Amino acid sequence: MTGSPRKIGSAKELERLKKSILDEKKKNAAKKRILLCAGAGCIASGSLRLKKALEEKIREEKLDVEVVETGCLGPCAQGPVVVVDPDHTFYENLKVEDAADLVNEHLRKGKPVERLMPRDAKTSKPVPKQDQMDFFQKQTKIVLRNCGAIDPLKIGDYIARDGYQALAKILTSMKPEEVIDQVKKSGLRGRGGAGFPTGMKWEFTRQAPGDVKYVICNADEGDPGAFMDRSVLEGDPHSVIEGMAVAAFAVGSSRGFVYVRAEYPLAVSRLTKAIEHAKEAGLLGENILGTGFNFDLEIRMGSGAFVCGEETALMNSIEGKRGEPRPRPPFPSKSGLWGKPSLLNNVETYANIPVILTKGAEWYATFGTVPSKGTKVFALAGAIRNTGLVEVPIGTPLGELIYDIGGGIKGGKKYKAAQIGGPSGGCIPKEFLNVALDYKTLEELGAIMGSGGLIVMDEDSCMVDVARFFLDFVQDESCGKCVPCRVGTKRMLEILERICAGQGEEGDVEKLVRLGLQIKETSLCGLGQTAPNPVLSTIRHFRKEYDQHIRERHCEAGVCPSLVRASCQTACPAGVDVPGFVSLVGEKRYAEALKLHRERNPFAAVCARVCFHTCEDKCRRATLDDSVSIRGIKRFMVDQEVVIQVPEVRHNEQNAARKIAIVGAGPAGLSCAYFLARLGYRPTVLESEPRPGGMLVQTIPAYRLPRETLAREIRMIEQLGVTIETNKRLGKDFTLQELRDKKYDAIFLGIGAPESFGLGIMGEDADGVVMALPFLREYNIRGSVPVGKKVVVVGGGNAAIDAARTALRLGAEAVTVLYRRSQEEMPAYAEEVRESIYEGIKLMPLTHPVEILKGPDGKVSGVRCMTMKLGDYDRSGRRSPTADGADQFTLEADQVIGAIGQTLQAGKLFDLKDAEIKMTQNKFIYADSVTGQTSVPGIFAGGDAASGPWSVVAAIGAGERAAVGIDQFLTGEDHAFWREEKVVDTDFDPDVDPVPYPRESVRSIPVEKRKHNFDEVELSWNENVAQRQAKRCLRCDYGKTVTRRGNK
Amino acid sequence: MEASPQKTKNSEVAQNTACACQPTEEEMLRSLDVVIDGFAKTDGALIPILQTAQNLFGYLPKSVLKHISLRLGIPYSEVTGVVTFYSFFSTVPRGKHVVRVCLGTACYVRGGKEVLEAFKKNLKINVGETTPDRMFSLEVGRCFGACGLAPVAMINDDVHQRVKSAKIRDIISQYQHEGEDVKEAKS
Repeated sequence: MTGSPRKIGSAKELERLKKSILDEKKKNAAKKRILLCAGAGCIASGSLRLKKALEEKIREEKLDVEVVETGCLGPCAQGPVVVVDPDHTFYENLKVEDAADLVNEHLRKGKPVERLMPRDAKTSKPVPKQDQMDFFQKQTKIVLRNCGAIDPLKIGDYIARDGYQALAKILTSMKPEEVIDQVKKSGLRGRGGAGFPTGMKWEFTRQAPGDVKYVICNADEGDPGAFMDRSVLEGDPHSVIEGMAVAAFAVGSSRGFVYVRAEYPLAVSRLTKAIEHAKEAGLLGENILGTGFNFDLEIRMGSGAFVCGEETALMNSIEGKRGEPRPRPPFPSKSGLWGKPSLLNNVETYANIPVILTKGAEWYATFGTVPSKGTKVFALAGAIRNTGLVEVPIGTPLGELIYDIGGGIKGGKKYKAAQIGGPSGGCIPKEFLNVALDYKTLEELGAIMGSGGLIVMDEDSCMVDVARFFLDFVQDESCGKCVPCRVGTKRMLEILERICAGQGEEGDVEKLVRLGLQIKETSLCGLGQTAPNPVLSTIRHFRKEYDQHIRERHCEAGVCPSLVRASCQTACPAGVDVPGFVSLVGEKRYAEALKLHRERNPFAAVCARVCFHTCEDKCRRATLDDSVSIRGIKRFMVDQEVVIQVPEVRHNEQNAARKIAIVGAGPAGLSCAYFLARLGYRPTVLESEPRPGGMLVQTIPAYRLPRETLAREIRMIEQLGVTIETNKRLGKDFTLQELRDKKYDAIFLGIGAPESFGLGIMGEDADGVVMALPFLREYNIRGSVPVGKKVVVVGGGNAAIDAARTALRLGAEAVTVLYRRSQEEMPAYAEEVRESIYEGIKLMPLTHPVEILKGPDGKVSGVRCMTMKLGDYDRSGRRSPTADGADQFTLEADQVIGAIGQTLQAGKLFDLKDAEIKMTQNKFIYADSVTGQTSVPGIFAGGDAASGPWSVVAAIGAGERAAVGIDQFLTGEDHAFWREEKVVDTDFDPDVDPVPYPRESVRSIPVEKRKHNFDEVELSWNENVAQRQAKRCLRCDYGKTVTRRGNK
Repeated sequence: MEASPQKTKNSEVAQNTACACQPTEEEMLRSLDVVIDGFAKTDGALIPILQTAQNLFGYLPKSVLKHISLRLGIPYSEVTGVVTFYSFFSTVPRGKHVVRVCLGTACYVRGGKEVLEAFKKNLKINVGETTPDRMFSLEVGRCFGACGLAPVAMINDDVHQRVKSAKIRDIISQYQHEGEDVKEAKS
């Protein structure tokens, strides 16, 4: 079994050779051997060094074990990987040092090495066998049938696995027309991008008149993010050679070319050798297998021009010309290379051919969907755990590919979009995770199947920047022959660059769409015709991000350099100068730090306790070790406050005379009042409850937020000239129309989302069923609430967890939380869920209440529940829970607390005679994202009432925006002086290495000491810890000036 | 430009022969003839010849292009048209080691930009430039197909995976101190 066997003279000889190779293999079947991935990915990860180490060790131990270099096995991220045969044990992430263990333990003693095996994502147990891994189990390998299983440089290995059997079969027993017929019947479509039916292309070329015809393989895999062709060429080059030889026979050609891009030196070298071997074996060249059929194959290398992936440009390049496309028609099947009829297919298409002919078109057509048969290889890359090469039947849902095979998103981040089809394709957002990946559905979503590059993006990718990236790419690669592509993409790029730099204008998006459509219609070749796709698709699915860039000068993902000073600050809905206050804390300048914090957010002490810290999620330090513990540092900072620190207030007689009413003293209303007061206004806040604070005082329990802490910051706001009137309920004690009649100059509605959704199940009317909000409100405002012994809470949000922990503290013996999805998908903050479990609350995810059972007295006696399983992906990008049919059980209960969502019942509240306040689709108040103004001039809104239930800090941010909006409405100018970034004069040396201290988490008091009271759970650090933690900040803000956020 | 071709040629070659190990112009053209003869039977041989010539000389000086034009009977304008079209061809001398930082999509979303900045800072050159000691040239690549290991950079034929901007100095020094490529990439 050498690399190049003697010349094979006939199909019979080929059969005999195959048999002799198989016999020899059978003899050695029990012999151990190591299949080592030598795909370019694993080589880059050091697989060749590993090979050397393994071989040395094997020699030392005097073992008879062969180490076989194979093509790509697939899981590139885990490289280098090896498979030990005959038992198919899979090892990953191997280092040179692991060679000794592997040889000693597994090869010598026969004991597989567990620590080097992949682990199951759920159980963390080692998975010993390749075919037991999720990554492989869900794949169907047709194109990649030999990749990773054979030595690509041994033609014998290929022959042993039915290699060249298809060629032998057609040469000895089929007519060209029959071959074409089989390909047509298989339903195979071109895998290079456009998806043209392969059999038809073959037929056209066959029918074209001419003695000389060419067969060409397009291996100019230029789409960034696609590497399937490369892997096939590196791992199974003979399958492409055979596929091309079959095609040559079918169309009547005797000469072929493979056009490979120059960036793939390894693929070129392996293919060159494979062609040599095939020639030596008589499987290429003259009189193949003694049938009189001649076919010769040459390699041509690209020279770094993306456009050469376009078929007509590719042919120009082979002819030795500039790789510019030619107008079509005539199509290559009529007039192609040197004007002769030419057949062009892509690598993956050819690799399919031998199997179709050996196993039959009917067999092939059983895979895939009705209009799109077979399998497709995808290259998974980007923010996904198992990056690498996978092959699945066409029609597999995107979500399955990403989560089941791809292992989900890296680092616990959220899926944002998948970019499919490279610079000609588009982005698919989470709403469509359930769509089947086939040619038609992808096109409907504005993407294309393309060559199969699939790049997964998480929330750290800015979609405008991604669109800009692709346009930059095509603009760079446009050959310049036609004007729409050369000039049009340039103009589009200019607009996108402006938007990313914070200089976008209203109408830019519309201009992009118009230009894009024109370029698509008028460009000469596929490059230009698809170039606008990434822009158009991101506009379609992520319009909001474009608007944010243009209108708010805000890049949510924290990517665009001109808009982002530090990603933590961008992530903060209130825009707090995080690096500023953290570095001030690091120099023990606590008063200044607090003042800086309150420039953008008055509730420093409140947020130090209840904020869900999106800033930490975006902290760049996480790429080094772990994010900076920003909330912990803030907590220490606010605990150092002796005299309350108030930043600059600008008195203004004119403003003081203006009348402003703020409805609702929650975080949005109070924040709005605070910023107005700093501009010299003296607003009045009208609050329905006896105490101000909104959700902060009504629902957030005191063990999370001590009431004095809250009261202190509210008093600070009052002292700036804000009047708070309690027990003033909108719709009861006053109406909007009355406020207008009283000549208020502006009104802000911060009325929250105080109503609860009902459970909507039988027995809901039973005595003992309450909703979380009234339950919490009653305890927090009035001081007592009836609590059962066995409490069941329904819901997975913060209100559910707050209610559960409050019930526990008030004496409930058992508290169970039912949530219909999985625990990871709970909207409640993970810290809160974790603490509640410590305290003894029982969490039952994937459980749904069906009926509340009543005793004869009408009181709750239990909850009949149903277990759920995760089904298909829904519009929220999560797997939707569906009943698993079987399991129903009853939980004993004497109280049920519903916490499944909040809403705003605004209808009767808005009684304006001459105007109607517009509501959003979700029945919240429509408010402009920049100014907070509603559809009625002079009336503004923010917080949960406008956004739907969200976070405290988001409400604070909305209050600030509305304050600026109100001021602008009244004065016509923007006076938001706090939005100018302050230069903090703390010491920082950018050349010094970051401090090595690890992240410290926030401490809390022991469970036993807190379970039965409302003492604050979290504790502050000591000064030493706080100092060290503050020094961990990488100071992303250092030396940066950015476009000011907001409307200026 | 055409006014003094001799002079231009000389200065180009002079640059190239700064090191004693470099061949003289005559030797160069002689070896070029061997290359051209080798492709006598190839259709559309211009590009393969240019590729081989560039491998031989490191870049494509004007003298080489003129010679190819004369030998193949292809107008000089057409030859330069092809050379300037493809990004792999260079008409200026390049460094001994060519660094190509991938800015393909996968590398871009995983921090390829920062890697490029770090190379610029460490080599003190911009994209398209060569260090004064003729050791390194810096270029941008559009996907090397190692997307699973992004961000990557290719130095000569070696793919370096999951490159961290903080580690660039180490990578460069591997090539600075050793004459040969360090990582075994070819099989």
